[in-house]
Amino acid sequence: MSTLRVADHHPSTDNAAGSTSSTSTSRRTLLKGFAAAGAAVSMSSRVSWADGEIGYWAKDLPNEKLVEMYQTILRIRWFERTLADKQLSDRSFRNLIHLYAGQEAVATGVCAALNNKGPFEQLDIIFGTHRPTGHAVAKGVDMKKLAAEYNFKATGLNRGYAGEMHLSDRSVGYIGADGIVGPAAVLAAGSAFAFRARGNKQVAVVFGGDGTFATPAFHSSLNNASLLKLPFIYVVENNLYHQFAHYSYSTPIKDIATAANTYRIPGIVVDGQDVMEVYNKTKDAVERARAGEGPTLIEAKTYRYYGHWGAPGAKVGEMGSFGYDPQAITSWRPERELRAWLSRDPVDICRNTLVSWGVIDQAKAAAIETAMKQEVKEAFEWEAKQPLCKPEDALKNVFTEGTVAARQFG
Amino acid sequence: MASKSSMYAMYEAVQHEMRQRKDMTWLFELTPAVASNPGLPVINLEKEFGRTRVNNTGIDEMWMAGATLGAGLVGTTAVTFIPYQGSQVPFELIQNHAGKLRYMTGGDAAMPVVFIVEISGQAAGFGGQHSDYECDSYYAHIPGVKVVIPSRPYDVKGMMASAIQDPNPVVYLFPQALRQLSEEVPDEQFTVPLDKAAVRTTGNDLTIVSSGAGMIGVLDATAQLQKAGMKVEAIDLRSLKPMDTETLVKSVQKTKRLLTFDQSYYTLSPGAEVIARVAENVDGARYKRIAFPDAPPPASPEMFNWMRPNASHIVAAATRFMG
Repeated sequence: MSTLRVADHHPSTDNAAGSTSSTSTSRRTLLKGFAAAGAAVSMSSRVSWADGEIGYWAKDLPNEKLVEMYQTILRIRWFERTLADKQLSDRSFRNLIHLYAGQEAVATGVCAALNNKGPFEQLDIIFGTHRPTGHAVAKGVDMKKLAAEYNFKATGLNRGYAGEMHLSDRSVGYIGADGIVGPAAVLAAGSAFAFRARGNKQVAVVFGGDGTFATPAFHSSLNNASLLKLPFIYVVENNLYHQFAHYSYSTPIKDIATAANTYRIPGIVVDGQDVMEVYNKTKDAVERARAGEGPTLIEAKTYRYYGHWGAPGAKVGEMGSFGYDPQAITSWRPERELRAWLSRDPVDICRNTLVSWGVIDQAKAAAIETAMKQEVKEAFEWEAKQPLCKPEDALKNVFTEGTVAARQFG
Repeated sequence: MASKSSMYAMYEAVQHEMRQRKDMTWLFELTPAVASNPGLPVINLEKEFGRTRVNNTGIDEMWMAGATLGAGLVGTTAVTFIPYQGSQVPFELIQNHAGKLRYMTGGDAAMPVVFIVEISGQAAGFGGQHSDYECDSYYAHIPGVKVVIPSRPYDVKGMMASAIQDPNPVVYLFPQALRQLSEEVPDEQFTVPLDKAAVRTTGNDLTIVSSGAGMIGVLDATAQLQKAGMKVEAIDLRSLKPMDTETLVKSVQKTKRLLTFDQSYYTLSPGAEVIARVAENVDGARYKRIAFPDAPPPASPEMFNWMRPNASHIVAAATRFMG
């Protein structure tokens, strides 16, 4: 937990030549400042650490919600594994894929703390990354539409214009994936700026990898969100590698969350593989944001089982990319590191938690997994029947009105 | 109706829209968001609308543009004034995000936003980065944003109203040269279309096309040429994207002589685009381009004033054209 530091004042030198009343005014102002700083440092918006609030909000989640979280993790997991297996076995597969397998608990835990249903003007919104499946599914995007969009079908989520990297579904508050690493942070903080100008309780979340620490937008978004006390949450998904480079190449600090100190905001490290912990920490941040106390930087320690994109070094029916990656022209991470993370899997952690809490038993857990695999299967079966885009539709949707002229015919 | 400067006219348009939309935002940097005009009430956006809507940011044009775009994406009409020193800093956000999000989301993303981008280039002595009239072409190349450039206070106000009301992202180029202009501007809100050039003078001999600050020299030169008996058709582009090809073609079909005038650099200046569009559609016309050389502006007034094209260059070129 970061501490808020107040700029140094020396009450004895303030208004040295002033009258007694103006000196005591400045002291009162100073002391009010300290009190406000103290309140902002507290862990949750309304109840402080000192009052015994331990922040284990997951204890209050109803069974249906907990089961939903488990289902979400499984949907993401089997959607990604289906894409990986298709990439490896289906010669007609033409999708671009940046697989989220291994990180499911982060998207699920964060979105579980957000408002994802209702009119657009009341939703909490998220900006995602070029690794979009987890965020999209956790926010509530329909898997059929997702599968169709990935395969550039005319009835996909964004009519085939987006592909995987530019998905958007405003009906659930998923403003979008982003193909460019970095700028989404200032966009999301800008949405938070709009929410504050409206004076309502909406919150804006951006997901960014460890690679975003080096981007200017990381610092700009936190600086301005802090200055303006915006309802903004930056979730860094630190999966240790950006493309094929370990983040030590680009980041001078091991815990990216400590960057929050520079901006005088809380920086929270969380175990990204435990969905309940992610939920707990996100709920803290959401409550702070809604109470007008400003932004939070959450760093989820997580791992991706596959490469940066595609499924190099993987086998159909087995999870994970091992060994040589032709895109990296080398093996870029230790196999044992990958296997160690695989042995502490978010699906297992969530299932074991729910079983130990008596929410489900092992038989029910297995039945849920079977059902989710079936849902994923049906999504891809639906997608396979969807039509391709009409080429001429390429001239539409540049502006809200009209089409642009075809210029390729001379 | 009163005589108003360009800046005051712009602020009137903005103030009106901000009064209509209770959550509309304005981001600016360093210089207070204030406009004054002799005989008229001072407009102070920060005082009137407060700091949650009107915000003085740090020297962070990426934030200004990104926040404006992010606000637009969640349904807030948002405007930002990017000062000329940072005019290219938001380029990637405008090019790769504002210009592409509607298209990449298959028509879902809505961005009712205006990026006002200031252009300098008028005074000698400031050197390469502060005396540069550029970025008209840079932004005009981007698909998915409308790029407009007024040349006089009346259009400054009308085009600002249109830009704010337009549901698409608009890059509103604002040449500093316009600050010195005043003319009669209505008090009530009115709109000027964002896709139509304006024919400022009519004539059969020669078409001269320019935009923004260039129009000041063009109108000055046109007056001189008309006194000498030349019939000049001076056209103010007003919009670089979408460009009003029809008006340009109609004029050159009549005159068969086209002279373009840009204060920006020769290579790929707006004039080049004008000539290409006309040449595709008109047979037997002749063309000439006046522009700033492909060099950054120097600090020395002797060098800068010699390099920068002005009304006398237009008069000389037009005379040669006719002879």
